[in-house]
Amino acid sequence: MLTLDLLINGLIIGVFYALMAIGLSLIFGILKVVNFAHGEFYMVGAYAYTLAALALNLSPWLALPLAFVVGMLVGLMVERTLMRPLYAGYGSWGLRRDEYAVIVTFALSILLINLVDKFIGPYGFRGPALVGIPRIYLGPVIVSGHRLFATIAATVVIIATLLIVRYSYWGRQIRAVAQNRLGASLAGIDPAKVSAIVFALAAGLAAMSGALLANIFNPTPDVGAFPAAKSYVIVVLGGMGSVPGAAMGSLVLGVLESFGGVYVSYQYRDAFGLVLLILVLLFRPQGLLGEKSREV
Amino acid sequence: MQMLADTRGRMRAELWASLVILAGVAILPTVMTNDYWRGVIVVSMYFAMLSIGWNLLAGYTGQFSLAPATFGMIGGYTTGLLAYHLNATGLSGIPAALIVAGMIGFILARIVMRLRGPYLALTTLSFAEIMRLVIGNSIDFTRGDLGLNVPSLFESRLIYYYAMLVVLALIQLGIYALLSSPAGLYLRAIRDDEVAAAGRGIMIVHWKTYAFTISAAISGLAGALYGHFAQLVSPEMGLISQSGLIISMVVIGGLGTLVGPIGGAFLVYVASELLREAGGYQLIIFALLVIVFARFFREGLWGLLSAGHERLMARRAAAPAE
Repeated sequence: MLTLDLLINGLIIGVFYALMAIGLSLIFGILKVVNFAHGEFYMVGAYAYTLAALALNLSPWLALPLAFVVGMLVGLMVERTLMRPLYAGYGSWGLRRDEYAVIVTFALSILLINLVDKFIGPYGFRGPALVGIPRIYLGPVIVSGHRLFATIAATVVIIATLLIVRYSYWGRQIRAVAQNRLGASLAGIDPAKVSAIVFALAAGLAAMSGALLANIFNPTPDVGAFPAAKSYVIVVLGGMGSVPGAAMGSLVLGVLESFGGVYVSYQYRDAFGLVLLILVLLFRPQGLLGEKSREV
Repeated sequence: MQMLADTRGRMRAELWASLVILAGVAILPTVMTNDYWRGVIVVSMYFAMLSIGWNLLAGYTGQFSLAPATFGMIGGYTTGLLAYHLNATGLSGIPAALIVAGMIGFILARIVMRLRGPYLALTTLSFAEIMRLVIGNSIDFTRGDLGLNVPSLFESRLIYYYAMLVVLALIQLGIYALLSSPAGLYLRAIRDDEVAAAGRGIMIVHWKTYAFTISAAISGLAGALYGHFAQLVSPEMGLISQSGLIISMVVIGGLGTLVGPIGGAFLVYVASELLREAGGYQLIIFALLVIVFARFFREGLWGLLSAGHERLMARRAAAPAE
């Protein structure tokens, strides 16, 4: 039964990875840059959830959407102030796109970590559980009530996001801009608006992930570094910019770590991601579901 | 050819400016007798070496690694582990650190540099996190988060001070020689336009790997020297915030200039020591500064200084005509 237990636990972790990685992938699709402050959106969500529940005595089920909204607002602000130069035609200022994006998002990540460290404090709080049931028996597998409900909530959000991106009007706009920015704008889509939507959505999803895991990993200022590092592996694994690839890569990495932690080495379970990343770069650089791109 | 001559003149001016800074640092101990502040300058020199290494890669080759501090940590651990397990004595650990860090950099670059775009930043970031974790978790081999004691090399702090200064000056001259050679032209061509560089027959992967290896080796050397000075290496040397500090030094000083990393390292590190006493807001301030500089002043403080100088020269040239 160990195998089943490991599989379920791996999938659970994978679902939370997916919340992070889907947003990262969407941002890459639209702006063709990697957001190195993604872990800090996670951290913002974890703090928003925990502080809302502990300091304002809010019910965890209300704190959860609140964390999503706070994440969205942070994402919107970041997009408006820092990301807009990437596409708003400030090229004459000698701006190099990739360089600018890496430096600015990396600095933003350090800024947010240290702001929280200074003004809220370096100590972790334990986020409240969504439900107070310590263990639930799912056949032979035991999970805590919080884990089960958090996983269900995350799964619902992921499926909703995938459906929105696939079928809704906004989702079509997002995909159009990801495919061809100029073409989309000729068809009457406003790329600036789409970028803002994508950034807000991605930040909200990461914040959601942080909020749902606040009971398991206590929020500290640098709590986001780890899930972020995982989601960078995942977007390479799934194929840069591919949303279904990110979802699948997350589950693969979660299960791999879960099994590797028992059968290979518990201490080094977090190193498997890097090994996987290097193997993918060596043998399938376009990722699992990515398309091989050609440049002319 | 005119443009090439201009670049040469600019680089020479930057080299002279950096040598002036180093000369200032050389005479500093005569007026600054406080041992603590001498130590601060030694640590600044460690950061200056890491910044030079990162600037070669990011500023001159256009490849954004997010793991400069990690290679410093690797260098520190190489010499520390050699002393701890094999009782390697004296200076033998320092060239070993240079070679080991260079080799790890070479292998990583061979894997990553075949791809374009954000893969390098992504891979180096995961590499940084995971190296720190591996070193922190291998308690039997590295003593984990406790840190590893490294034997001291010299009796007095002043000898460290000048040893670091000499190495720093040699690295700076070496980088200048490298950038003035054809290799330097290839690297800058790759930075400016990879496709065009490949079109002119420059082996992109080869030269990117070359820059990454040199950058990693310099960082390893710096880490080994720092380890002997601090007599302790710990996984904290490889924290992401340390890499952030290095990047902020280069961006504030002037990315893609010879003087930027050195000036930035001294400024930022000394300022961070001063700010630490005033409440510890240093990283918040530096991160904000980095965002502002990356957004508005791409060439950092050095760019601002030389733009101001040029405007002054233009005004002076225009004055007699009035």
